[in-house]
Amino acid sequence: MKAFLIDVARCNGCHNCQIACKDEHCGTSWMPYAAEQPMTGQFWCKIDEKVRGTVPVVRVTYTPLLCGHCDDAPCMAAAKDGAVYRREDGLVVIDPEKAKGQKSIMDACPMGAIYWNEKLEIPQKCTGCAHLLDDGWTEPRCVDACPTGAMQFGEEAELDLEGAELLEPVAGLGAHVWYKNLAKRFVAGCVVDFDAREVVIGEHVVLADEGGAEVAAVDTDEFGDFMFDQVSAAKYVVRIAGKKFDADATEKDLNLGDISIK
Amino acid sequence: MSKTTDKTVVKCLGFCGFGMGANITEVDVKDGRVARIRPLHYDRLYTPEELNYWKIEARDKTLEPGMKSYPPPLSVGYKTRTYSPNRIPYPLKRVDWDPNGERNTQNRGKSKYVRISWDEACDIIASEIKRIHEEAGPFSILAQSDGHGETKNVHAAHGCQTNLLNLIGGFLKQARQPDSWEGWYWGAKHAWGMDPVGMQTITTNVIKDISENGDAILYWGADPETTPWGWGGQFASRLCYWFNEIGVLSVFVAPDCNYAAAVHADKWIPVLPNTDVALQLAIAYVWMTEGTYEKDYIDTHSVGFDWFEYYVLGREDGVPKTPEWAAPLCGVPDYKIKALARYWARHKVSIAHCNGGGYIRAAFSHEPARMEVYLLGMRGVGQPGVNQFQMIEWQLMDVKTLNPLPSCSVLPSSEHAYRGATMDLSEPFVPKTMIHKAITEPEGIEWCGHVIAGIDRADQLIPFEYRPEKGKGIRMIWSDAPCWSTCWNGGHEFQDALRHPNLEFVLVQHPWMENDTMFADIILPTSTTMELEDFNVDCRNGQWNAIAYEGQAIDPVGDVRTDYEAVGEVAKALERLGGEYENLYERYTQGNEVIDWIEKGFRGCGMPDGDTADFDQFVKDGFKLFPTREDWAEMPAGLIGFYEDPENNPLLTPSGKIEYYSSTLATRFPDDKVRGPVAHWIDFAADGHDDRLSSERAKEYPYLLVTNHPRWRVHANHDDVPWFRELATGKVVGPDGYGYEPLYINPVDAEKLGLVDGDIAGIYNERGMVLGGVILSERIMPGAVSQDHGARCDSIVVGMGGLDRGGANNLICPSATTSKNCAGEVTNSFLVGVKKVDVFELAKQYPEEFSRSYDPECGRILDSMIVEE
Repeated sequence: MKAFLIDVARCNGCHNCQIACKDEHCGTSWMPYAAEQPMTGQFWCKIDEKVRGTVPVVRVTYTPLLCGHCDDAPCMAAAKDGAVYRREDGLVVIDPEKAKGQKSIMDACPMGAIYWNEKLEIPQKCTGCAHLLDDGWTEPRCVDACPTGAMQFGEEAELDLEGAELLEPVAGLGAHVWYKNLAKRFVAGCVVDFDAREVVIGEHVVLADEGGAEVAAVDTDEFGDFMFDQVSAAKYVVRIAGKKFDADATEKDLNLGDISIK
Repeated sequence: MSKTTDKTVVKCLGFCGFGMGANITEVDVKDGRVARIRPLHYDRLYTPEELNYWKIEARDKTLEPGMKSYPPPLSVGYKTRTYSPNRIPYPLKRVDWDPNGERNTQNRGKSKYVRISWDEACDIIASEIKRIHEEAGPFSILAQSDGHGETKNVHAAHGCQTNLLNLIGGFLKQARQPDSWEGWYWGAKHAWGMDPVGMQTITTNVIKDISENGDAILYWGADPETTPWGWGGQFASRLCYWFNEIGVLSVFVAPDCNYAAAVHADKWIPVLPNTDVALQLAIAYVWMTEGTYEKDYIDTHSVGFDWFEYYVLGREDGVPKTPEWAAPLCGVPDYKIKALARYWARHKVSIAHCNGGGYIRAAFSHEPARMEVYLLGMRGVGQPGVNQFQMIEWQLMDVKTLNPLPSCSVLPSSEHAYRGATMDLSEPFVPKTMIHKAITEPEGIEWCGHVIAGIDRADQLIPFEYRPEKGKGIRMIWSDAPCWSTCWNGGHEFQDALRHPNLEFVLVQHPWMENDTMFADIILPTSTTMELEDFNVDCRNGQWNAIAYEGQAIDPVGDVRTDYEAVGEVAKALERLGGEYENLYERYTQGNEVIDWIEKGFRGCGMPDGDTADFDQFVKDGFKLFPTREDWAEMPAGLIGFYEDPENNPLLTPSGKIEYYSSTLATRFPDDKVRGPVAHWIDFAADGHDDRLSSERAKEYPYLLVTNHPRWRVHANHDDVPWFRELATGKVVGPDGYGYEPLYINPVDAEKLGLVDGDIAGIYNERGMVLGGVILSERIMPGAVSQDHGARCDSIVVGMGGLDRGGANNLICPSATTSKNCAGEVTNSFLVGVKKVDVFELAKQYPEEFSRSYDPECGRILDSMIVEE
């Protein structure tokens, strides 16, 4: 069973995976595995990009998204005439000829990983570069093109899946694209003594949940900064030197800015 | 037999040009088309042992080179440039340009084109050259023959014409200055030598040193996830991850949270564009007043420190350069300046650079560069963990020590195959930054130094001038680098120069219809690297140096020639005119076929067995790697030699030491108030620049524009790649369906300006306006707006005060150079106003310009510019 393992913390956002996928498939037909992809608009491998935080605590998190090649693939269930099939190696492939006109295959995917080709009237998606694997390649284009080692491909049993997760929409479907270090939330700030015009170094900062229970604690660093990273999306209270600051990280990451404790 | 590949060739898809290859890849061909471009797997030919596989071990972790190349998306997606709908399919002539009648120079940039044959085109070119030779002499022909883009060698993208023109009397040269590292060249060299680039050029084993001894890296105005892409690929990214992994603090100092800061920063210190000097001075003030700098080192390793101290402490001008003084100028709160200064004083900190950005390309850029050297001196630069190094252009200009990674046994060169422009110091020449003035200003122009990147410091002291006799100024341009207007200083002014009546003939050879190409009278279409056979090198990958035999991947796309062949066609046409042009083609080729040049390149590349090595095997293999030096790990790190023994390891300054006071500048330029003997904060209008937020001009143009080297282009290259244009950070599609160049605005400023995401806005000043698609973003600090440079010009109104739809913001850059004695470009951190525009109203106002042929996938295309005659 083939699977992908993606370490989001190693993704630099270069989009090589996305571009290599397009290089392989846009304007080039690999029948019977895949018909040609339009030059733009389809993303069989897609980098999702999120800008997080506010000046000056800002990060961009990139998450490569691709077909999960799910065990309980809804696209297979939606397909007629066996237009979507699973190969022996586990990869789920849409047969471009049999799938003609079957828009329901595209609609079935909870990830939005299947695209509709208006010109050819077919649903299209990642094939895991099955045409290359059958021609002697050991990994698909996206993985080959990744410069940082953020993407791996191989036998699922041989990948180090400790701590790996599946994306929510396909987690219950037996997907085979695993992720490490998926972005959660951060809560950050800088503690300042505005009377002295100095940052406060070594100040104890506590992140507590809504009930007041301590979730994490850290001392401010040599820049007066604190950062609670990879915490769950939730409402928090930050406690510094007897003062309390609301920190609602339910919807977004939080930079509390320069905080006066006097 | 592969089912997915018919043949594979090796290509070095770096975009530096100048024969300096990079980004080695493999290109698979199927059914006569490029099927894929992918990393080269070195283990196709080599084992790690054969390459003397290096490892840097530190803090229980290991950094390794890996066994494949790391090309950037600019290379992986490159076939879209070869197959671009904007390729010029055949030779073209401007419809209303008649070499025997009315030339209509004023219509350049507006006129359409008709197809002509190669013979007709070359006959016109030959007769024009002959006419100008007879009427004015060879130096009335300007060759614009430098530039980035495809790094071809035999078929050099830039400069083949110079080989031909040199055979027939010469030509007027365009001297290309160090456009991406101006400040280091014009400033830092006077503080610490470091020829030829001005940044620390002795950086051997600095990565190993920081891994073992460093606490932090300041990425000052540096974006290792952008600028290295076109020049060497993505090993820089792996280095950033390595330093993250081993706990070396990554601090980014820039107005924008650039692409590297976005994924690697532990700290981002936003500083207003081109105000770094104020921040630097305040840091020096903290160290001086708290006594936390390396005083003993200053005594033994520098001269003139007391001058600097006198200025910093306020004794010179009554203004102590305190953090409180600096904060409102640079936008960094005083308490954060103190924290940074104290952290720096307590830890081993190195500084990383990779060209570009407002730090080093803005007005007076020599000042922040010198100031950085001053700060490094105060930290005892050269001691373990304290160096300056580059994340880009490793081994540039064949400088072996300009490489912080393990040294390779051979540094190969392509010079024996290379048929492009070289660093020719002969006269006459004009700085590239002053070309427009050379065309239009008959009274003449003056400057200092040969200006060419790579020349030593003392050359900057020589005065030069261009004062042609009447009628012997620039009358013809032969350009193979038609991107001046979107890459250099004052593009709108250059557009006016291109339409000047003095300029009788503009010849461009280029693969694509873009930028200055649309001002040509004759256009010769050239091929991309996929369509030809060549020799190349890759000395920028950070792993092992390589040479490559680049096979021809595909047939030419259209009725095109390689640059080498196109110039050869002109040679043949001149030869037909006889006289001094006799036997010109053979003189141009020196009797060589292309494969002969490739073999010369191979044998002369610098490998020890060049004379006897098996060329046929090389052609079959496609590439050859050179192993790591056996003794690499023992080589001294960075400036440790100078640190330990400055007397015996002097710098290339007159004193051999760090010069806080430059007696050279004091003596040679006593009246220069901008680049004086000691670097200063320049807050007054001078030398054609008045771009501080404190300036009167800021009332009308209240934002500082950051125009970084682009993420999805190399300068003007790649703007037509559909797979980049459709990215979230590619183009912003306006309500009219046009892809506008992104303009990043902080939400705080956007609210003041009444702008929302997706709006189309104009950025403007006295020099005109360019459009952009608004992206509200926390990645740019308030007070600054950001739009990458190098977007393709789509001029609606040509020339000074004009309007550009494409977002080619170099059109509204200052035209004046770095400062009066420094002929660098100022293409970043200048004042602009920002306002929302209604594109439908503009379309009504300029119906013809807004209805040109446009491909939603790749942008503006040439179709509507070609007419049947």
